Amino acid sequence: MEKYDKLEKVGEGTYGKVYKARDKVTGQLVALKKTRLEMDEEGIPPTTLREISLLQMLSQSIYVVRLLRVEHVEKNGKRLLYLVFEYLDTDLKKYIDTYKRGPNPRPLPSRVTQSFLYQLCKGVDHCHSHGVLHRDLKPQNLLVDKDKGILKVADLGLGRAFTIPLKSYTHEIVTLWYRAPEVLLGATHYSIGVDMWSVGCIFAEMARRQPLFAGDSELQQLLHIFRFLGTPNEDTWPGVSSLRDWHDYPQWKPQSMALALPMLESDGIDLLSKMLEYNPSNRISAKDAMEHPYFDSLDKSQF
Amino acid sequence: MEFDFDLENPFSGSDEQNIQLSKALFIGSTDSDEPSLLFSAESDHMSSLAVALDQLSTRCHALSLIVQAQFSNNLDPALAYLAVNYIDRFLAKREIPNEKPWIARLLAISCLSLASKMKKTSFSPADLQREEGFIFDARTIRRMELLVLGVLEWRMRSITPFSFLRFFTSYFPLANPIIIQSLKTHASQILFKSQNDVKSLEFKPSVIAAAALLAAARELFPAHFLSFRTALLCCEYLNKESLAECCAAMESYDTTAGIEAASNGCDSAYSALTPVTVLDRHRAGLESEKTAGSASNG
Ligand SMILES: Nc1ncnc2c1ncn2[C@@H]1O[C@H](COP(=O)(O)OP(=O)(O)O)[C@@H](O)[C@H]1O
Ligand SMILES: [Mg+2]
Repeated sequence: MEKYDKLEKVGEGTYGKVYKARDKVTGQLVALKKTRLEMDEEGIPPTTLREISLLQMLSQSIYVVRLLRVEHVEKNGKRLLYLVFEYLDTDLKKYIDTYKRGPNPRPLPSRVTQSFLYQLCKGVDHCHSHGVLHRDLKPQNLLVDKDKGILKVADLGLGRAFTIPLKSYTHEIVTLWYRAPEVLLGATHYSIGVDMWSVGCIFAEMARRQPLFAGDSELQQLLHIFRFLGTPNEDTWPGVSSLRDWHDYPQWKPQSMALALPMLESDGIDLLSKMLEYNPSNRISAKDAMEHPYFDSLDKSQF
Repeated sequence: MEFDFDLENPFSGSDEQNIQLSKALFIGSTDSDEPSLLFSAESDHMSSLAVALDQLSTRCHALSLIVQAQFSNNLDPALAYLAVNYIDRFLAKREIPNEKPWIARLLAISCLSLASKMKKTSFSPADLQREEGFIFDARTIRRMELLVLGVLEWRMRSITPFSFLRFFTSYFPLANPIIIQSLKTHASQILFKSQNDVKSLEFKPSVIAAAALLAAARELFPAHFLSFRTALLCCEYLNKESLAECCAAMESYDTTAGIEAASNGCDSAYSALTPVTVLDRHRAGLESEKTAGSASNG
């Protein structure tokens, strides 16, 4: 890795640190991400090869963070792979934080929320149209170029497999806040709806500057959701009571989204309610979301 | 996640959880985004003829090894096809010195190994090498694999003519699934054979796919050939002149000669090499290649 000057640590991820670095030859800023993927005698493991080439294919979209190169290094007899990404100055969590704290706390401009949500839908639709679910969409995994007003999807699950790990390598609890109710309830088959639920949570978070459902356990997470959207039942979500982890929960009535999120106008509320639809098969897709009237006032030609 | 690579569906993650989705995508794919995605990406996956011509003999050696491997190990033709695609794309970007024929072998073995990893087949370079009688060590193959990955920029989900078959069959006047399947099967055979022809590098994958389907239709369903051709000529993604040229090239191409031509046509200097001399050259070569090799080691 002598090709790069490590500048600073920008992230502490699930499998390792992410560094901001500069390419010594070109001067380009990059993000270096160590993967937990090691090479063995057989060379590059087949799953790694398939996943990185998939990542490479997905990163052809400008709404997905670009994979520039893959570097391999030998260190203490181990052969490790580093992914080299284009560098973006911040992630959406840090970006929202600058509006929440700092010298001048204020809401995100509604134009920014609208534009970021649109770009998020573009990136998610790109993944879905290639047959790939992200499965871990959250503000930390969305990168932002503040000056250009660009948002890109990052951290596409290398080896995330069917289950999202509960703890990271630093034993930090992996957040449940963006997890869809069907996943929390132990559904064995899930589809693009899991990502769209997360998109809804992120939308509300941009509007509120606070996470929408901040549970600290799977049960608490469900109760947060139920308290806000009403406890689901066979009428509102056919099949819910036969999901693996379904129990009898306290009965709540749905709250008014418009009252809870006064900063969103009615089109925004309508779109959010379609993203937070209980029944995954009725949940809006990224493609349909992009056509929603909420985006009518957005100049789409710039995308 | 298992992202097994399927030539016909380069864009499908075929993630088990996503099967539902992929099905939705590829059945009736004409009204999804997929065709435009494919057509806009295909030029990234071409190997230019100009460069390839300089390296004809390298290509020839590498392909003959692939053909031998395919027959002696009874490999899936799609696997061999993918390996040759990698070889062509590699040669379009990197020159291989003619006086080092062992590199062609190493390239062939590495590409075959990469293709089998992409397709999740259990082929190991060792199987092939045992038969060939000389052995590159695991480290050498590993390094070559990484070199190939670097040169191809890890774009291993190649867009090939196979990726376009499904799309173009939707232009066929009959929609009977059995007929469409036989058309596709026949066109696939034509594609497998035409890959050896260096002329095929001249055309875009989509154009080759359309030409192969036309050739298949002419043989199997001559009564519908003309209306199929008319329909294809109206396809917004296809260049008419290019399609005509490709059809002509495919007709002039003797499909029975393909395999033999690939295995016998290479220059004889190479075949005179014994395994021992190849291994010696290989060692000597590695010494002098050290700098080139380590450059890819990050
Ligand atoms: N390309 C990048 N440019 C700038 N910051 C990045 C980049 N990639 C990652 N980061 C930062 O590092 C953090 C962790 O990276 P991520 O790719 O999400 O890895 P993990 O799988 O470990 O969560 C992100 O939340 C972000 O703050
Ligand atoms: Mg992350």
